[in-house]
Amino acid sequence: MSSKKSKVICITGGKGGTGKTLCAVNLAVMFKNEGKKVLLIDGDVENPNTYLLLNGSLENKRDVPFFKPKIIESKCSKCGLCAQNCAPHALLYITDSFPIPILALCSGCQLCYKICPEEAIETDSKVIGWTYSTKVNGISLLIGELKPAEARSAAIVETLLEELDEIIKGDPDRFDVVILDTSPGAHCDVEALINKADLVIPVTEPTRFGKLDLIRIIELIELLNKDHRAIVNRSSLLGFRDEFLKDLKEKNIMILGDIPLDDDIVHSYCIGVPLMDGNSETDKNGKGYKAFKRIFENLIEWMETKEQGEGS
Amino acid sequence: MSIIAIPSMGSGGLNDEMSPRFGRCASFTFVEMENNEIKAVKTVPNPAANAMGGAGVQATQIIGNNGAEAIIVGFLGPNAASGLNALNIKIFQAPNKAITIKEVMNLYIEGKLQMITTSNVASHFGMGGVGRGMGGRGQGMGRGNQP
Repeated sequence: MSSKKSKVICITGGKGGTGKTLCAVNLAVMFKNEGKKVLLIDGDVENPNTYLLLNGSLENKRDVPFFKPKIIESKCSKCGLCAQNCAPHALLYITDSFPIPILALCSGCQLCYKICPEEAIETDSKVIGWTYSTKVNGISLLIGELKPAEARSAAIVETLLEELDEIIKGDPDRFDVVILDTSPGAHCDVEALINKADLVIPVTEPTRFGKLDLIRIIELIELLNKDHRAIVNRSSLLGFRDEFLKDLKEKNIMILGDIPLDDDIVHSYCIGVPLMDGNSETDKNGKGYKAFKRIFENLIEWMETKEQGEGS
Repeated sequence: MSIIAIPSMGSGGLNDEMSPRFGRCASFTFVEMENNEIKAVKTVPNPAANAMGGAGVQATQIIGNNGAEAIIVGFLGPNAASGLNALNIKIFQAPNKAITIKEVMNLYIEGKLQMITTSNVASHFGMGGVGRGMGGRGQGMGRGNQP
């Protein structure tokens, strides 16, 4: 469990392109505007881009190593035990030959290394991606990036969560709020991030795709026993808003609010200055600005209700 | 003497049809050649036919353990290609059509098959029943280098 001091909020939402990162960044900015210490973690490791929306850059690059077996031929008795027990069949073994690692299949479990009777397998590693940390405009950023063509994105997410644990362990008061931004989908990367959260916010849009993927991600969130409130982005899209919101209500899907289509949002997105940034010259009476404000108020209310519920 | 392996649709043998799938074919036919003539034929069932993953590597083990120095393939995935290359087994590309083991062996003997060194489909391409089967997807066939 994370420290009681820092609230962990996960922004997710099944479908791609619904505005998860937009919401994550603007919520982070609004918390910062309230004087909170905010850490934003970009867990969309195949396409990390929160830093772009904050006009920041990738700094403090650290390698994420991944186990690979190294066969020590001078010790290997060519018994084949490693290959016989390798569940993903990542060791190619021909009778009376040295086993050959097929690294694309290796899950990194290290069983081969542990069971080799001759201790002929050593642990080697390859770099499968990187993490970065930086601070932009008062918001701390922790970013994971999977190396292109590597498959084990979950290992990068795991590293991010380990780094988060270390930060919290080192100083439980360092952050008031931690915001986790996930990739689209309902797979293990997303699951790991949701599992770390106190509150989960799926972001959707009023389309049939949006609804289907929202229902899928809520299934995952509920499997993990987490509380959720959705955000409906681009809600004024082609006049589907009312029908969509009614449908969510009928399905007992609660929402924090909806964000209508708004030129100011698009403009802020393009120039890399978050709409809700206190320094931006945004029209504070604009549709987008007011929608984010309302969502933030509802979020604070939800957090307070939850806290009281936990206290009693 | 050299041994050529061919993925087979049924129980294998010269009159069986060649399987376009490598890792998940039903069986392998091993044809022993001497002076460009077929000397002996052996068939081995493929236990990896229904494997969830790693079928290419398991099938490659069968090819290696039966002493084949070359294989003729239709579709070949990346992990199988890595394995075959690691074992220095030559890979020949079969034509993209239904063909018997005997017919494809004749093409091999006549030197009409191209040698390839890389995969021509993605992982799990040959898995049946999950909408990623062979139907109508002939991309990548016949690529590769001349021997």
